[in-house]
Amino acid sequence: MRVIRSMIDTAGADFRRNAAHNRDLVARFRERQDAARHARPQRDLERLARQGKMRPRERIEKLLDPGTPFLELSSLAANMAYEGDSPSASSVTGIGVVSGREVMIRSDDSTVKGGAWYPLTAKKIVRALEIAMENRLPVVHLCDSAGGFLQLQSQVFPDKHMAGRIFRNQSHLSRLGVKQLALVFGHCTAGGAYIPALSDYSVIVRSTGAVFLGGPPLVRAATGEEVSVEELGGADMHTSVSGTCDYPATSEDEAIHIGREIVAQWDRPTRWNCQQETPEPPLYDPQEIYGIVPDDIKKQFDMREIIARIVDGSRFHEYQPAYGTTLICGFANIWGFKVGILANNGVLFNDSSLKGAHFIELCNQNNTPLVFLQNITGYMIGREYERRGITKDGAKMIMAQSCSRVPKFTVMCNGSFGAGNYGMCGRAFDSRLLLTWPNHQIGVMGGDQAANTLAEVKANQMRRNGGEVDAEVLERVWEDTRAAYQDQLSAYYSTSELWDDGMIDPADTRNALGIAISASLNAPLGEPGYGVFRF
Amino acid sequence: MSHSAPPRDAFRLDAALDVPSEPRTRAPVPFRRVLIANRGEIAVRIQRTLRHMGIGTVAVFHRVDADAPHVAGADESVELVGDTAVAAHLDGAQIVASAVACGADAIHPGYGFLSENAGFARQVAEAGLTFIGPDADTIALMGDKISARQFAEAHGVPVAPSVMPTGDLDAFAAEAERIGFPLLIKAAAGGGGKGMSIVREAGALREAARIASSEAQRYFGDGRVYAEVYVERPRHIEVQVLGDGTGGAIHLFERECSVQRRFQKIIEEAPAARLPVALRDEICAAAVRLASAARYKNAGTVEFILGADGRFFFLEMNTRLQVEHPVTEMITGIDLVRAQLEIAAGQGLPAPQQEIVAHGHAVECRICAEAPDRGFLPATGAVRHLGVPQGPAIRFENALRQGQKITADFDPMLAKLVVAGADRGDAIDRTLSALGELAILGVETNVDYLARVLDHPAFRAGDLHTAFVSEHADSLAPRPLDAAARDRALIVAALGQRIFQTLVTDVPEPHASIGAWRN
Amino acid sequence: MTLKLKLEDGVHEVEIVARRPHLTVRIDGRLHTIADLGPAGDGSGAITFDGARLPFERIASTGTTLVRIDGRTVAVDVVDPFDEGAGPGSGRDEILAPMPGAVVHVHKAPGDPVTRGEAVLTIESMKLQTTLVAPRDGELVAVLKGEGDTFEKDEVVARLAPAEGDQ
Repeated sequence: MRVIRSMIDTAGADFRRNAAHNRDLVARFRERQDAARHARPQRDLERLARQGKMRPRERIEKLLDPGTPFLELSSLAANMAYEGDSPSASSVTGIGVVSGREVMIRSDDSTVKGGAWYPLTAKKIVRALEIAMENRLPVVHLCDSAGGFLQLQSQVFPDKHMAGRIFRNQSHLSRLGVKQLALVFGHCTAGGAYIPALSDYSVIVRSTGAVFLGGPPLVRAATGEEVSVEELGGADMHTSVSGTCDYPATSEDEAIHIGREIVAQWDRPTRWNCQQETPEPPLYDPQEIYGIVPDDIKKQFDMREIIARIVDGSRFHEYQPAYGTTLICGFANIWGFKVGILANNGVLFNDSSLKGAHFIELCNQNNTPLVFLQNITGYMIGREYERRGITKDGAKMIMAQSCSRVPKFTVMCNGSFGAGNYGMCGRAFDSRLLLTWPNHQIGVMGGDQAANTLAEVKANQMRRNGGEVDAEVLERVWEDTRAAYQDQLSAYYSTSELWDDGMIDPADTRNALGIAISASLNAPLGEPGYGVFRF
Repeated sequence: MSHSAPPRDAFRLDAALDVPSEPRTRAPVPFRRVLIANRGEIAVRIQRTLRHMGIGTVAVFHRVDADAPHVAGADESVELVGDTAVAAHLDGAQIVASAVACGADAIHPGYGFLSENAGFARQVAEAGLTFIGPDADTIALMGDKISARQFAEAHGVPVAPSVMPTGDLDAFAAEAERIGFPLLIKAAAGGGGKGMSIVREAGALREAARIASSEAQRYFGDGRVYAEVYVERPRHIEVQVLGDGTGGAIHLFERECSVQRRFQKIIEEAPAARLPVALRDEICAAAVRLASAARYKNAGTVEFILGADGRFFFLEMNTRLQVEHPVTEMITGIDLVRAQLEIAAGQGLPAPQQEIVAHGHAVECRICAEAPDRGFLPATGAVRHLGVPQGPAIRFENALRQGQKITADFDPMLAKLVVAGADRGDAIDRTLSALGELAILGVETNVDYLARVLDHPAFRAGDLHTAFVSEHADSLAPRPLDAAARDRALIVAALGQRIFQTLVTDVPEPHASIGAWRN
Repeated sequence: MTLKLKLEDGVHEVEIVARRPHLTVRIDGRLHTIADLGPAGDGSGAITFDGARLPFERIASTGTTLVRIDGRTVAVDVVDPFDEGAGPGSGRDEILAPMPGAVVHVHKAPGDPVTRGEAVLTIESMKLQTTLVAPRDGELVAVLKGEGDTFEKDEVVARLAPAEGDQ
């Protein structure tokens, strides 16, 4: 491996302009993230304090081993939904270390509407448990939720990947031997009651914690029975009578303390043997990424410069450096872990697709996890390329990538358009973790292209109807299309809808990938095998 | 603060070894086997000399001491039966019977227990064994305060003058004046300071006596008062003597034992601090005079009280090996236990007086299981960690072992740390350094307190008297740790906890390297 | 999560800040680096504290930790923030019979102060004698069974005065 020699002039005008632009983007991201995490109505905070409750992130800080990282996922989930009423989709998920064990932490957020589950809350929880399953990560649930958000029940309750999937995933986690611990700080009502019930261990806090299928109002409405919360599902009842929960705790602190002790009893998974080196920081400052990514999505940049600011020692062994040059392939280490990197340096041609497919196979044969750095406008189109079989070459890449048995990780660095998203392991392709930079845009095509395409269709329609082409109508179609696209192309929309596992500061990419790769080693590698490649 | 002191050339460390290294050309003593009627550090210390001399050792022990080092270190051991360990060690008949049974030809009593029991000495002699000590009559003479005082006075050893109570104020005043000033007037029936006053000049005597008498009358219904010499800032000076039993006696210089708590010595040194040579010679000569007159046969200690004015008075004579004997050994190079054995065997004194020379300075600290911050109350616990200071001219006299329980069964003294140096300052520095290295954890001890005493400016200046501990109570109290020292202690304590160590070491990579990062 | 330690009547928090390249801890706001940790437990050893060698002797295996450094012995206690624990029934007002049986001895009367773990009743059941103890410190307000009385499983046999602050 050799050190990538950066060609970036960090004193140049381009660099400074890009840096200013991207730093501004990151600052705005941090602002929105901070608001999602902390901005709450005073009334809700006061209620919490009255109940002697901590906020979800305070609980997590106390649960984690001190001085260790926490990779929070999807902190801006639902940021463009429900008029902002469900910050972070009313939940916190992330990977951290508790009592020396890597775990998935999943927490309700009762500072928002009593912790009620919105549709995107359910989606976020389901995804967190999916990550836990894929990586065999034990789960610690911090329960404090009123239950499903009833006004939107049709989007929370019935479908395959809605709330029911949470309990389905919990069951399957258990089947896989992945441990779960529930710390019940507040109410676990209705479906939520199954979270502690389906956990291997549960701790419940006296006087604030409660678990029941139906709360006292529902019981009164259904049967006329008058019953207190404590009697119905309090800590003492569940830990001494029903056996639904295991340990009573007198305070949230104590519950966390007991929880940490429980996790300390768990056996440690056997990690598969990924090649590892002693980690070393990149030679180039990751903050320089801000000056490299252009201030305009249409401008090209060399992804090697990004790789140099993510990988150990900025060292990179490039595979086929002279062939299919619009797709950079090569080996590097991230936090010591050997990875195969695929990064876009332009549109995918036949040769770059074949190179990518081949490199993916090499990594699978070598037990090397794959990292995709996406900046892709798509596969090359046009008569010449179709004649050369660009579609079947792209299909080869998709086949190789889809059937990979090694863990895959995707970073949305700048743009992800069209089928390029598929070949480069987009959301549909089971990345163990998919992260998005704030500058990123994603869509079947760009806003301009979509506006042009739809305006063209409209013009043709007008011509077919024998009329004049009304320039004003075309203009409006163009503008409307472009506006709608711009909104939905943005990384904020993408992360709001959980098309990713979270927006990150580009300078954090290395740490996020390090934690994700480490987590992935807990799950055994699948059996090798591909479908039929079209040659 | 550093107590490390480089060796000084002038001081011969080999003169201060625990047992003199130069073999002396004397006939071997005729004892084949000696029973040591003691336990703890002194039993171990006596064994050491016996072993050097090629004499067999017999230990006695109560069952609570079955695993004790003095038992383990003996050639032979005999269990004593008794309700308590102390009772067993005071059972002279049983000990003599044990000695006879195991064929011992002598008994060394150590200190304490039966060491100054005339009856025991007699029993030993009657059983046909040698008692390593003076004969029973000498023990009895010196064991009785009044007879000892009279004997001393009769042989020109100064005793503290006093005037006995009388109802006649004029006669009393006249007689009291002859004692000299200052003097102390006390109610004969009194206590608690009532009717007590210090009189510093003749003019004040009558008035003071009158007031004391009327106060005594008021409080106790008895107006009689008596006077005794008032020794201001008294020092405890004692002289180590050796007597051959025929009137031959020598001294091995003096020791200073002024630093006391609860009327017991905690720091002793030899020679005394800042004692003028002429005065020292006078005191030592008085001690030899007493030993000689008593035809004293053994090692013994003549104790004096020394006033700030240079007057000194006989207190008592201890007819046995003294706890603090090692400081004398350190400065003279003479093994006192060996000397005891040779004298008992009739081989006389180890050397004539003119050959006894003192080198350097030695300090002994009595390491006690006690709480200096709570009135020196005895402490109990277990020796869960023992770290012994190492170095030349350091004697750590002990019978401790790791895990040993410290109960209230015995005296709270756990060990003695004896350190020699080229001069007093050097000896203090070396002792401080050794105290720093000494670690007895699991029972509260006075180790740190002793270090504060030694490092006290008044102690370093030799400004000693028997109320040193109470006079300097405030400045001898432990200073709170400064923040840096506290943090060091806290982190060492934290790292002792398995839960904390696990928390530190049990984090997988790359999490440990990434640290407290948040995205 | 921090380790709380008591020293000289003050409570101090030792918090791990970082582990690499050296252990970094924060104690009362001050940062220190430590290397060469050595094993936990009793004995002598030396760590590197803020770059300097720090020899120590220590017993830590039970109760109070005693540390000897700089020629001084210091006692340090680990503060257990959850002394009340989560043991069965701890912190509750009532003493319940764990199984059906009969009272063989009554140790306490109503009005007696009790400390946690102190015997209140001895019962016999299935040929086993069991002592029922106070679940926490407090005052007994009722002893509901006398010697020879029988009871069912989970029957309340004694009751403590409600703790302050409880409702």
